[in-house]
Amino acid sequence: MAEENITFALPDLGEGLVEATVLEWQVAVGETVERNAPLVEVETTKSAVVIPSPKEGRIVELHADEDQVVPVGDPLVTFAVRAEDAPQAGIVGRVPDEEPRPARRVRLKPPTD
Amino acid sequence: MTELIERPDTAADTPTVELSMQQAINRALRDLLTEDPDVLVFGEDVGTLGGVFRVTDGLQKEFGDRRVFDTPLAESAIMGMSVGLAMNGWRPVPELQFDGFAYPAIDQIVNQVARMNYRTRGATPMPITLRLPSFGGIQAPEHHGESLEALFAHTPGLKVAAPSDPADAYSLLLQSVRSDDPVVYMEPKSRYWDRRPVQLREPSDPIGTSRVVRPGRHATLIAWGAMVHRCQQVAELAAEDGVDLEVLDLRWLKPIDAAGLAASVSRTRRAVVVHEAPLTAGLGAEVASLVTENCFRDLAAPVQRVTGFDVPYPAGPLEPQYLPTIDRVLLAVQRTLEY
Repeated sequence: MAEENITFALPDLGEGLVEATVLEWQVAVGETVERNAPLVEVETTKSAVVIPSPKEGRIVELHADEDQVVPVGDPLVTFAVRAEDAPQAGIVGRVPDEEPRPARRVRLKPPTD
Repeated sequence: MTELIERPDTAADTPTVELSMQQAINRALRDLLTEDPDVLVFGEDVGTLGGVFRVTDGLQKEFGDRRVFDTPLAESAIMGMSVGLAMNGWRPVPELQFDGFAYPAIDQIVNQVARMNYRTRGATPMPITLRLPSFGGIQAPEHHGESLEALFAHTPGLKVAAPSDPADAYSLLLQSVRSDDPVVYMEPKSRYWDRRPVQLREPSDPIGTSRVVRPGRHATLIAWGAMVHRCQQVAELAAEDGVDLEVLDLRWLKPIDAAGLAASVSRTRRAVVVHEAPLTAGLGAEVASLVTENCFRDLAAPVQRVTGFDVPYPAGPLEPQYLPTIDRVLLAVQRTLEY
């Protein structure tokens, strides 16, 4: 089965944070990870969060050691995914990131009527 | 004139397959090329390359370079040629590679494609479907993220479609190409890679029918194209707060489903329309007006609009600030709930 490597960069974990520290990898090179399964726990200046895997695939490379500080936008992990699942942006633009859980700040109050 | 052909409803025995929107559109084009020898697919890079978004991948190989072919980089010529082909009995499906490059072809689209049948008292239909990769969300450069639906919906003679998912992309394209009227078929680029199980089916709803993608009772979110997905995200988050939002996918922006809009908003009593295009004179104003005309007595709050801003579509890094965010939609919902 044809495979293709895709690298996932550390996303902005909210409100303009610039970096995060890798606390604990929850996957190892060679393992297959499901989409949305826990990938890595990182610590930002606000909190420790577990980043879910944006892809289903085999882990090819972890780009940071535990306790290492990673700037937002730097590579975090490289997956090998089935080629037919690998989205191609084409000549212009890029494939939008998957949002495992969209962020929000506004809370609603249900109507009384 | 095209004769009316009875088509058996094959939906029941159509298997469910997993497809991206790109692949669903590709399948629709392949099925159309197969069923009608008059269908022609052409545009910049659609032949040898298979399209910059792989939408026409493999079609030239399968149907030959007389039915699927590359054109010069000249949008006005692509649409002008479509007019001539349509006059001579063909059913052209041109692609203009990006929304922003419809502007160089606007004279042909507005002055010829849209008016020819009217001008000739119905003697010269223009069964042209203009495929237009549209809207933003892929951080592309200038001219590659425009929302032109208001311009085309405002042009008499054109129909306008904007599907939001692979299944609708398939069936709306079948409807568009089979229609003897010109249709601007706007493909939401940021949803091209959206993969999901799809049952490819013959269109079951007439042109101009909207679709409730999520039923709810507290307010209706109205959207089309990629903003349908955004509204579904908002509805899921609102549910955590005990607010039950309906999401209405307009799908057809001309004609607009005024009855479908009224049916939904009369029930929920509140409406928020969401689009990527700038606010002023955007299609949201048309939707708000239709809702107000038809549901005035039922409305619990004025119709809210959440849109792009009145500025040119921004460069990639500013896109997340320009496009309607989850919080902006939630705030608009809250305004209707508190009114």
